[in-house]
Formats: sequence, structure tokens, C-alpha cells
Amino acid sequence: MKMLDRVVIAFSWISAVIIVGAVCAIFGHIILNGAGTIKLSLIFGDVAPLDALLLKRQVLNGLFPAVIGTLLLILISVMWAVPLGLGTGIYLAEYAGAISKKIFNLFFDILAGIPSIVIGLFGFALAIFLHKNVSNNIGPCLLISSMALAFLVLPYIIRTTQVALEELPREMRLTALALGATRLQNIRHVLLPRALSGITTGVILAIGRCAEDTAVILLTGVVAMAGIPHSLMGSYEALPFYIYYISSQYTSPEELLTGYGASLILLVLCIGLFSAAFLIQKRLTYITLYRA
Amino acid sequence: MNPVSHENTKIRVTDLSFFYREREVLKKVNVGFAESKITALIGPSGAGKSTFLITLNRLWESIPEARMTGKVEIKFSGMYRDIYEKSFPLPTLRRRVGMVFQTPNPLPMSIYRNVAFPLKLAGEKDRKIISQKVEEALDRAYLWDEVKDRLNEDAINLSGGQQQRLCIARALVMEPEVLLLDEPTSSLDDSAGRVIEDLILSLKEKLTILVVSHYLEQVKRLADKSIRFSEGSVIN
Repeated sequence: MKMLDRVVIAFSWISAVIIVGAVCAIFGHIILNGAGTIKLSLIFGDVAPLDALLLKRQVLNGLFPAVIGTLLLILISVMWAVPLGLGTGIYLAEYAGAISKKIFNLFFDILAGIPSIVIGLFGFALAIFLHKNVSNNIGPCLLISSMALAFLVLPYIIRTTQVALEELPREMRLTALALGATRLQNIRHVLLPRALSGITTGVILAIGRCAEDTAVILLTGVVAMAGIPHSLMGSYEALPFYIYYISSQYTSPEELLTGYGASLILLVLCIGLFSAAFLIQKRLTYITLYRA
Repeated sequence: MNPVSHENTKIRVTDLSFFYREREVLKKVNVGFAESKITALIGPSGAGKSTFLITLNRLWESIPEARMTGKVEIKFSGMYRDIYEKSFPLPTLRRRVGMVFQTPNPLPMSIYRNVAFPLKLAGEKDRKIISQKVEEALDRAYLWDEVKDRLNEDAINLSGGQQQRLCIARALVMEPEVLLLDEPTSSLDDSAGRVIEDLILSLKEKLTILVVSHYLEQVKRLADKSIRFSEGSVIN
């Protein structure tokens, strides 16, 4: 028995060390290779940064369009996914009956398991369909990509919203009801604010997924050279696609290193967005619960 | 048995049975409660006292797999109303029948917002009226002097006894006619419990109060009448 205890403890330790080690190795590898390439010229090429930021001049040999493309892609996708996911999560936790809950849960589990390339393929088919039947101007574009990505990340937001609400203790659910709150008021004023930190976890997962996914956008509108997207209907550049493209098509070791630079920028971008989501959650909690 | 039909009967309960899943928690309870009196509900744990309380504000309807039969009437502005009538709005009922739970349950917000919360739910927008009513309620709950300088602090920072008085203030702010108290002092120490008892006594002029209690001494100090529950029935 004692022997078994020791084995389990040792195994747990080793597992944790391996995973932490792997994460450190990945970060270290990216930073070691990428840090040297991080210069203003990597992002802005030979355009003055201010001119690029004010969209006065187009950046042709820098990562700036890919950074903007990825940012827009994430924001628009999350903009679709958050309201839909919140609504569905609230419905499942607060309104759905036992049977419909089972059916929907199964359905969303399946949705969560669909490979992103399949969702990308579906987005591509949709673009073709719209191109043939609605307007010749519609093709793979930022709009289609963001919708497909939203579909990909919906299960995260639905599930975290549902779980965050269902975990709230029964006493807390009854408090406002006993004070004359309607069901909706209870959700709006007590349950949702309390569930906010759980929901934010889902949003952060969604942001991360939108930032890294390459398969979906590969089929629905990303290209290697597009500049800053001019509209939702236009094609665009994105960091993960650049990384993928460079790592398979590089012509010199220096060019490969810019792929590491792009990875580093993508990481920093994600950390920035995660922090923003976290701060928004803190602020919302304060406004809904504590503001005088 | 005709339970009660005195003139000053505030609440009339007829043939009330309550089921949780298949278990019968209350069995054909017939009982009445006098206006502006404190009635203690006593009896062993699991006899159905707390369940009985939440049939009077219909709070059990938010608990899954519960079911009830029978009739509950409460006299509002001189007229008996069947509170289970379809046309009786639930929020209105719960504003007129306030409830305080065994464990203090302030919402995770400031002291002020806790007490103002029911007003906000009822759609009151006038800040002057709100702050006036909040002060009145805190005053009636013996809490105003202790919290008037820290109204924007988180209610969680209050002591247990203060939290419970806050919950009473929150129940009072809508000026209910009936107050249901489910073992309001059982999570508090003796001195904090005594303050709550004094407070409850001071309220009975304007309110019909039902209090579940396990303490014989407390029942003696508080109650005008006591009703004993045993295995889901009322025994006299």
C-alpha cells in the first residue's frame, strides 16, 4: 500500500514537472529565436510607424497588416460568439427543462468536437454558395471567417456560462426571489454578476482559440498579401497564417526567424487581450454589484 | 376542524399538503395566524416548519420537484386573497410577505445597495425616496447607528448579527405586512441573538410575524402563541 502511494505521488510530480517543463521549453524556444527579430521594421517594414498606424501608407514588407487582421478577426468573432453563447448558456442553466437540456448538451458536446478544418470547409462552402446565389462580390472574407470562428468557439462560452450559473448555491438563487425579484431580475442582478468570473474564463478560451486557429481561416479568407482589410467583405492577413506560411515556404534562415518573431507577437497580443478581458470582468463586477 | 375565523386573522391556511419528490412533508395542515402577533412555529427538525414558511410566499416554486395542494389566504387591505390565484403577481406577494433566512444572506454588494435592492427590483428610481427608505429600514432594524458612516462598504464585512439585522432591514424596506423568520438567531451568539429578539418584538405592532425557533426560552420571550409541528402535521 505504501509503495502504491509513493508511486502515485511520484507519478503526479513527474507529470506536473513534464508539463511545466514543456511550457517553459516552448516559450523559451520562441523567445530565444524570436526576440532577436523584434524590431520596428519587422512590424512596419520601411514605413514610419506613425504613418502606418494612421493608415497613411500601406505596409508591404512588415507584419502590421497581419497584426491588425488578427485583432479584427478576434474582436469580430468574439462579438458574434459572446451574445449567442451567453444567451444559450443562460437558457440551459435557468430555463431549459430536463429533457431539452440533455438534448442540447449532447448537441453542444458534438459541436465542441467538430475539427476546425471541417468548420472551415463549411465556411468555404457557404462563401461559394453566397457567391453563386447572392452576389458575385461575396467570397471568402473577414465576415465569413469570423462567423466560422464564432461557431468554433461557441461551445466554450456556452459551457462556461452554463456551469458558472449552475454552480451558484441555492440560497443565493432564492435570496433575490424572496425579495420580489422576477426570474429575469434575479438573473440580471444577482446570478450573472456572480457568474461573471466563470464566464470570463470561457471568453478567454475563445479569444485564444480565435487567435491561433489557422485551419478555419485558411479556407475562408486569409491570404499572404492583402494589406489592412478595408471591409468585412475583404480578405485579410493574420499572424497564425503568416507563421504557417513562413515555416513551410521560407527561403532563408533569416526569413524563418521572422516566423518566430510573429509567434512572439501573437503571444504578446494574446496576453494583452486576456488582460483586457480580465479587467473588463473586474470592472463589470464592480459596476453591477458595488457601485453606490 | 375549523382552524380560525376570528376577525383579526391575517393568514388562513386550509388543507395544505406539501410533497418533495414522493415524500409528504406537510399533511393537510389547517391553521390561522392573528394579525400583529408573533407566532412561534416549534417542533423537531424535519417536522416541516421551514417548508411551511415558504408556502406562504410561494418560494418553494423555485425548488425543483416540489408540489403543493391546498389553499393559503392572506388578508391584504381588509380582503382575503388566495395567494395561489393566477392573477396574484408573485413579486407583489413577496414584497408584502417578507422573509429572513436562518443564515444571514446579504448579497455581495455594499450595505446601502443591499437594503436598496428590493426598491430597485420594484422599479423605484427616485434617489431621494430610496435613500430615505433605506435609512428608515436600517433604523427599524436597529442598524442605522452602526452603519451610517460605512454605507458603501461591502456587507460581507459586517458581523454575523449585523448581517442578520441587515437582512431584516432589507425585508422591511418594502414595508411588508407579514414577516417570515426561519430560525433567525440560530447562527448567532447569545448577545447578538438577544438584539435580534428585541428587534423582532419592536416590529410586531405593524407586522404579523411567524418565527421558526428551536429555543424554548426564545419562544417564551417572543411569542404570543406557539404552534407545534410534528411529522408534517400541526398538533395543538
